Amino acid sequence: MQKNLEAKFLEDFEKNQNIAHKICRIYTSNKSAHNDLFQEITIQVWKNYPKFRGDSKFSTWMYRVALNTAISLYRKSTRRVKTQDISNLAYKIKATDYDDTEEQQLKALYKAIHTLNDIEKALIFLYLEDKPYKEISETLGISSVNARVKMNRTKEKLKNILNP
Amino acid sequence: MDLLDNYKKAWSNQPEETSKLSAIEIYKLAHSKSSSIVKWIFIIGILEFVILNSLYFFVDIKTAMEEYRKIGLENFIYYSNILAYIIIFYFLIKFYVNYRKISIVDSTKNLMNNILKTRKTVRNYVIFNLTYVAILMLVATVATINTNSKDLNTTQVFMVIGATLLATLLFLGVLWLFYQLLYGFLLKKLKRNYKELAKLNSTN
Repeated sequence: MQKNLEAKFLEDFEKNQNIAHKICRIYTSNKSAHNDLFQEITIQVWKNYPKFRGDSKFSTWMYRVALNTAISLYRKSTRRVKTQDISNLAYKIKATDYDDTEEQQLKALYKAIHTLNDIEKALIFLYLEDKPYKEISETLGISSVNARVKMNRTKEKLKNILNP
Repeated sequence: MDLLDNYKKAWSNQPEETSKLSAIEIYKLAHSKSSSIVKWIFIIGILEFVILNSLYFFVDIKTAMEEYRKIGLENFIYYSNILAYIIIFYFLIKFYVNYRKISIVDSTKNLMNNILKTRKTVRNYVIFNLTYVAILMLVATVATINTNSKDLNTTQVFMVIGATLLATLLFLGVLWLFYQLLYGFLLKKLKRNYKELAKLNSTN
């Protein structure tokens, strides 16, 4: 039983690991912190995997566990953002068949997101991942109306940073 | 098209992480040691229960009771000890129940709320213990003064009270500082994020 569960977890996690990587890129600003948070997310997903009942998609469930780990369980502060570390993000998101303007946009986007606080980061991340408001408000534990209001404010804030 | 829509497109087109992990690497990571604050709060909480309770083992009960008898506090100590243990037991259960409620699958707000509640149980336990010790010290001092009142002059009485107060305050001060550092270090980020979420629910 345990072996089956483990195999299933490894399969699910391997397929969806990009969710965790994206969250790590948002919440950390250097490679060692990225790996540290990634490790904690992996531990938490595995520890709670027996509680995953399959009534929702694994990815939906993983968004919640990974975000909660980044916001609540992971202790290291993300306030001190070093600029040279952000430019290092490029090494992670470089691909040969990738549009150059989009690459620039992506870099600027990550840089802007790094200036937001942890809750705003979560909102923007869920928006970028195209999550419905219902899921966003349930994940964070706030009402849909509040999620909408805060989302609009955060989007405005992000726009101002991107295009001052 | 909205400015953010362009960026959103770039976001969804971003290539996957270049250094993707294999199943074996994920297996290794999943079985490594967690460094989550929940784990630390649990460990520190248990340590506080153990350390504060084991302090009593360093006291020679027989001699202490003999001293209490001399100043006529034997019954008071006996019953207050029973009461204290009942209260400690209540705190232990509450701590465990709150700890079990912490679930990462919960919403962010509930999760943070439960973490803070667990930590508050330990804090209240420590406050209870310190108050209990302070009351015992006060009662013992007053009783000592009462039984020895014939041999002591007013200045000596005030000196005893002053010294006891000073020692208590100093002890509490050092402990308070230690707590600020320890939990400040652990919970600074969590508290900031919790405030941010709470603010969202109250202003809109």
